Amino acid sequence: MFEREPNIDIVFRNGLKNLEVLPPADVWDNIPPMPVRTSRLRIISGIAAGVAALVSLTLLATWYGRNSNTPVLLTEVTTPDGDTRDVPLDIMEASPIAAPAGAKVITMPRTAEPAELPLLTTVIPAADEPARLLAQVQADIPAIKNQADEPARLLAQADIPAIRDQDNTPVELLPEEITIVTAGRFAKTEESPLVTLAEIPAAKTDPRFIVGASVSPTMGFSRTGEDARITGLINSERSRPTYSTGVSVGYRISDRLTVHSGIGLASMGQTITDVAIYAGLSDYYAVKSNYLYSLETATGTILAGNTDLYLTDTKDRVGTLIQGNMADPSKYNLTQVGSDIHQVFRYLELPVMVRYRLIDRKVGLNLSGGVAYGLLVGNTAYTGQGSETIMVGHTEGVNEFNLSSQVGLGMEYNVSQKITFNLEPVFRYYVTPLSNFSGAIYKPYSLGFYSGFYFKF
Amino acid sequence: MAKDKDIIDGCLSGSRRDQELLYRRYSPKLYAVCLQYAGNTEEARDVLQEGFIKIFENLSRFSHEGSFEGWMRRIIVNTALERYRNRYYLNRVDDIEEVTEPEAEPDTSDFAGLEAFDLLNMIMELPPKYRMVFNLYAIEGYSHKEIGEMLGISEGTSKSNLSRAREILQKKVMILTGVTRRMVNV
Repeated sequence: MFEREPNIDIVFRNGLKNLEVLPPADVWDNIPPMPVRTSRLRIISGIAAGVAALVSLTLLATWYGRNSNTPVLLTEVTTPDGDTRDVPLDIMEASPIAAPAGAKVITMPRTAEPAELPLLTTVIPAADEPARLLAQVQADIPAIKNQADEPARLLAQADIPAIRDQDNTPVELLPEEITIVTAGRFAKTEESPLVTLAEIPAAKTDPRFIVGASVSPTMGFSRTGEDARITGLINSERSRPTYSTGVSVGYRISDRLTVHSGIGLASMGQTITDVAIYAGLSDYYAVKSNYLYSLETATGTILAGNTDLYLTDTKDRVGTLIQGNMADPSKYNLTQVGSDIHQVFRYLELPVMVRYRLIDRKVGLNLSGGVAYGLLVGNTAYTGQGSETIMVGHTEGVNEFNLSSQVGLGMEYNVSQKITFNLEPVFRYYVTPLSNFSGAIYKPYSLGFYSGFYFKF
Repeated sequence: MAKDKDIIDGCLSGSRRDQELLYRRYSPKLYAVCLQYAGNTEEARDVLQEGFIKIFENLSRFSHEGSFEGWMRRIIVNTALERYRNRYYLNRVDDIEEVTEPEAEPDTSDFAGLEAFDLLNMIMELPPKYRMVFNLYAIEGYSHKEIGEMLGISEGTSKSNLSRAREILQKKVMILTGVTRRMVNV
């Protein structure tokens, strides 16, 4: 329709191209500080690793639980006439049928009604039993029924009629060949309506698996060692409250012993005191370096990636790439934004713990111990408090991995048969150094107070 | 003078100083864009504030491949459009008007004396639905189809609004410049 762009469009486009209008002064004041976000890739990786670890542990525990409880299940039954045939065994409803090595299984008689029998699983007659059993085989069934000996009666009820009806001769049975199955329950199918035995009440077993979540405030501490420099640095640092949280999966090995694993996120940190931090340096220095200032700490060296900051202290911890004291805050218009720096390290943890139940009552007492493998996922240093924080940089020299040992004494309250509340003070010591700073080994310890709920199934 | 990339890196590392530097450097240009779309200073300051919050929130997504100013401008324009969509409903039947052929236009050389502020004021005085379409088509370079999708209106409505906007602006320009229409062949 328009073959050529109308002139009025061009007039306005060109006329407004370089137009600048100063906005009202208070607009900037209403723009909040930009949030500093952890790398999305790192978060996703952490979550993926956690999910993978949990799934693996759950599958491993399930596999182990099933295999450790499953005896050899018989699917083939030897009949009195020497034939063997497959018998569908309903595993879900039947008690496990264990076969001694080399034993043959004698099937139960066909009956429409449940046999009123004691719930035995496997009976292997004693060495002197075969003779008596064979005698009973040749006798009348009513006579056998009067016997108090249950295995004999069961044997009689089982295959004796078939044997007698077939060739009317005794069947020679050796002790190791006899297994009487009474509590097994075969599925009734059209093809094989073999037996219907007494209803077997499901055995009541205690839950073997435990899943739970816990959280703990923690406080880290540093030991002053032989290294004078480290000691001096530690004396200029103070602990700061952090946290530790996670989910765990446990498997009950016995009534008192449980193995736990899972995944957690632990935070550690300290505050470096007596450092003056000024902002506004970037107005005077346009730098290409990743940092201008560094600060020695017991954990490593903080590199101030925020090149807008000017750092200074009186304890010879601050280093700078700037030659001489060019960035004098009194000379330039720098604003002090803090007097200490907070170091925070976050670890993704994979613990393996053993918990022993000292007191097994409504309110129980547990002793726990184990190790945790830590992967460094967060390493930040900032100044300021609350929402007025300014990122300083990160700490160099912190080990990416660490191994810590921990012991705890927990009070356990069984809220219900399935749910437990746990309170557990935990002492943790880092087996591998948190960092290797100037050759000195730095191994802190921490104290936490874990609380959480656990679900048993 | 610090480069944009250094300032962006500073912002991403949490430097409030760099954020302010970025704001001071680009807010005058972007505020002019806000005025073009908002129509009044109150709305424009809200768009600027909201837009800069979005800029800072999404700064890590800037890939440094295109123009940084252009990237920020798109965020500001989208913010203005979003606010506009929430406030006005253009997609009404009575908005669909007959598209009229443009009248013959005066030579642009006649408008040489026009100040940018005069042009801005003319745009700001346009009714919102005409202003939006004119800005998106004539200044930003979007097609009617794209404008229709952005504003939730039909292509026909977009063309109609543009035509009407041009008509109004031409009259204003001529009144302001006192130009006696000199017909040119288009």
